[in-house]
Amino acid sequence: MTSRDRIKAIRNQPRTMEEKRNLRKIVDKEKSKQSHHILQFNCCVQCLHSISQTYRRSKSSLSEILSSISLWQKTLKIIGGKFGTSILSYFNFLRWLLKFNIFSFILNFSFIVIPQFTMAEKNTLQFTGLEFFTGVGYFRDTVMYYGFYTNSTIQHGNSGASYNMQLAYIFTIGACLTTCFFSLLFSMARYFRNNFINPHIHSGGITKLIFCWDFTVTHEKAVKLKQKNLSTEIRENLSELLQEKVKLTFNQQLTRFSAYVVAWVVSTGVAITCCVAVYYLAEYNLEFLKTHKNPGAVLLLPFVVSCINLAVPRIYSMFRLVERYEMPRHEVYVLLIRNIFLKISIIGILCYYWLNTVALSGEECWETLIGQEIYRLLLMDFVFSLADSFLGEFLRRLIGMQLIKSLGVQEFDIARNVLELIYAQTLVWIGIFFCPLLPFIQMIMLFIMFYAKNVSLMMNFQPPSKAWRASQMMTFFIFLLFFPSFTGVLCTLAITIWRLKPSADCGPFRGLPFFIHSIYSWIDTLSTRPGYLWVVWIYQNLIGSVHFFFILTLIVLIITYLYWQITEGRKIMIRLLHEQIINEGKDKMFLIEKLIKLQDMEKKANSSSLVLERREVEQQGSLHLGEHDSSPDLRFRRSVQEDNPRA
Amino acid sequence: MGSKQTVFTHEQLEAYQDCTFFTRKEIMRLFHRYQDLAPQLVPLDYTTCPDVKVPYELIGSMPELKDNPFRQRIAQVFSNNGDGHMTLDNFLDMFSVMSEMAPRDLKAYYAFKIYDFNNDDYICAWDLEQTVTKLTRGELSAEEVSLVCEKVLDEADGDHDGRLSLEDFQNMILRAPDFLSTFHIRI
Repeated sequence: MTSRDRIKAIRNQPRTMEEKRNLRKIVDKEKSKQSHHILQFNCCVQCLHSISQTYRRSKSSLSEILSSISLWQKTLKIIGGKFGTSILSYFNFLRWLLKFNIFSFILNFSFIVIPQFTMAEKNTLQFTGLEFFTGVGYFRDTVMYYGFYTNSTIQHGNSGASYNMQLAYIFTIGACLTTCFFSLLFSMARYFRNNFINPHIHSGGITKLIFCWDFTVTHEKAVKLKQKNLSTEIRENLSELLQEKVKLTFNQQLTRFSAYVVAWVVSTGVAITCCVAVYYLAEYNLEFLKTHKNPGAVLLLPFVVSCINLAVPRIYSMFRLVERYEMPRHEVYVLLIRNIFLKISIIGILCYYWLNTVALSGEECWETLIGQEIYRLLLMDFVFSLADSFLGEFLRRLIGMQLIKSLGVQEFDIARNVLELIYAQTLVWIGIFFCPLLPFIQMIMLFIMFYAKNVSLMMNFQPPSKAWRASQMMTFFIFLLFFPSFTGVLCTLAITIWRLKPSADCGPFRGLPFFIHSIYSWIDTLSTRPGYLWVVWIYQNLIGSVHFFFILTLIVLIITYLYWQITEGRKIMIRLLHEQIINEGKDKMFLIEKLIKLQDMEKKANSSSLVLERREVEQQGSLHLGEHDSSPDLRFRRSVQEDNPRA
Repeated sequence: MGSKQTVFTHEQLEAYQDCTFFTRKEIMRLFHRYQDLAPQLVPLDYTTCPDVKVPYELIGSMPELKDNPFRQRIAQVFSNNGDGHMTLDNFLDMFSVMSEMAPRDLKAYYAFKIYDFNNDDYICAWDLEQTVTKLTRGELSAEEVSLVCEKVLDEADGDHDGRLSLEDFQNMILRAPDFLSTFHIRI
C-alpha cells in the first residue's frame, strides 16, 4: 500500500483514537523496517521516501490554505443551523458556480486581457452612467467586448517573444470551456455514483425519515419546528400506509387524465407563444432602435425576456390547483421540466436569432453586438432577481402575516432559484466568446446574490416543512447544467466558429473567412518548422481524420455495452443475495423454534422424572405399600403418553 | 511548517493529522474549542499527554450540540466508557466522524451505535421507540410510535429477526443518499 492508502485506511477505521494511533505506530515500524532492509540494497528508495513525505506535507499545507480561504463558512453554518441541509444545497451550488467563474476569469484575464492592455488604443468615446445598464457607448471600445481585441501578433522589442493574439484568444476560451466540461463531467459522475439508488429495491419512506435526522440544524427554534414537521410527516406517511389505495372510477380517471393533457398543452402553448413573441420582438427590435434614438431603448428586449422568466414559472406553479398527482415528487419533477423547457427554448430562440440574423446582417462588428445583448440580458435578469428578493419576497411575507393570514410564511423554492442560476450560467458560457469579461461580471453578481438571498432568507422565510431529497435533486440539477445547458453552449460556439464569417474590421479574427481558419493557418505555419511536425501530424491524423473518430466511437460503444451487461449481472446478483438473506433469516427462526421446543420437551421430561422420583420416595416412606405398586407405573406411563402427542 | 504552537509535540500533531480528517489548523482550532469548554480543567500543554476528561454537561452545552435530540447518545458513543465524559481524543474523534470528509461506511457505523440505545449491537423495537420519541418530542401518541416502529422493522429488517443488525442498517443507508449530508456537524 502506498502511504496515502495507508493513511486513508487508518482514518476510515471505526476505532478510538488511541487504537488508531497504536495501529499507525505499528504500521510505521513495519514500513521503516522494510525500507531499512531495502535501504541496504537500494538507496534510491530513501530519495523516493523523502520525496513522498515532502509531497504529503505540501499537499496538507495546500489543503490548509484552500480551506482557510473557503468562502462563507460561517454564513453557511448559520444557514444550515436555521434551515437545514436542503436549503444549504442551493447556497453550495451557488458557491460551486462561483468557482467556475473565478477560474474562467483568471484564465481570461491573464491570457487575453492583460496582453490586450499593452496594445490598448485610446478610448475616444464619452462615458455616461447609462453604460452599466446598456453596455454600449464607452464600453464598446474597452477590453470588455470582442471588437476591441487586436488581431496582430504582439511583439515587444525586436527580439522579444511574440504573442499571437488570435491563437491566444481561441485557445484560452477553448481551455476555459474544456476545463468546465471535464469538471462538470466528473462532478456529475461522482454525484451519480453516490446518489443513484438501485431502482428495483423498494425504498422505505418512514425508515429514511427516522434515520436521516438533520444534524446540521442547531438553532433551538429550528429544531423544535423540525421536530413538529417531522411528526406531521410521519403521521401523513402512516395514514397513507393505513389507507387502502383508493380505486378511482373510470370517470374520475378520465377527468384526471384530461386535466393532465390540458395542463401540458397549455404550458407548452404558453412556452411556444413566449418564444415566438421574443423572436418577433428581436426582429422588430432593429427597426425599433432605428426609429427611437433613446439610448435606453435597447433595454426593451431584455426587459420582456426577464418579465417572461419572472411571470411564467409562477403561472406554472398555479397549475397545481388543477392537476392532482399521486406523489408530490411527480409534481416537483413536472414543474421543473416545464420551467426548463421554457428557459432553454428562450435561450435557443435568442441564439438562433443572433447566429442567423445578427451575424449575417452585415452590421459592423456583429460579435460586439451579440456580446452587448448578452450583457444586457444578464444584467436585467440580475436586477429582476434582486428586486424579487428584496421587494417581492418582503411583500409576500407582509401579505402572508398581516393580510391573508391563511397563506402563512413562505418557504424557499429551491428548484426555481437553482434554475435561475443555471439560466444565468448558460448565458455566461455563451457570451464568453463575445465578451471575455463576462465571468468577472457574473462573479460580482453571484457574490451580491449570495448576500441578498441570505438576508431575504433570514427575514422572509420559514424552514421547509417537507423532506426535500437534496442529494437526488442536486444530481438532477448538475445533470441539467451539463445536458441542455453546457452542451447547448458547445453547439452554439461550434456553429459560430465553423460556419460564421468574422466581421471585417474588428476583433482578433478580422478578415478571415471563418474563425477556424486561424487554426488552419497556424498548422500551416507549423508545418514549415521542422521541430513541430509532430503537432501537425497529430492534427492531420487524429483530430482532422474521420476514421480516428469512427474507431474511437466504436470502442467507446463496445465498452459502454460491456459495462451495461456487467451492471445487469450485478443487479441479478444483488437480488439473489437479498433472497438468500431472507432465507437465512427464515432458517434461523426455524432452528431457534426447534431448539425452544426441544428444550421444552427436555424440561417436561425432567419434570416428569422428578414426579417419578417423588412417588418412589413416597412409596418408600409410606406404610401402604402394595396398593400403590402399579399406580406409579401407570402415572409414569400416562405422563409420558401425554408428552408424546405434544412433541 | 514551523510549529509555533506549544500545545502538542510535532509527532502528536502528525499523529492527529493522520488519524482524523482534519488539517493542522483545524486540530488547533478544535483544541481551543475544547479548552474553552473547561478552561480550569484542560491544560494548555498536552505534550505530557495528561488524562483530562471534560464532563458531559459541558460537552452537551456546546452550541453545535445543545439542541440536538441525540446529544447524549453522541457523547456516550464517543466517550471511553460510555458515560459521556470526553477526553481530547474522544472530542477530536467525534468531530472527525461527523465532518463532511468522513466516508459513508464510517458514518453509518457510528450512526448505528448512536441509535442502539441499549448497546447490544442490534437496533431492537425498544431502541426504535426511544429514537422516535426523541425525534418527535412527544407529539406522537404511544400507538403511533409503536406503529412507526413496526413499519420501520418491516421495511428495513432484511433477515426478519425482529431487529436491525449493522448490515440491515447499512443496506438501508445505501438507499438514502441524503444520509451523508445530514449526518454532519459543522464546527
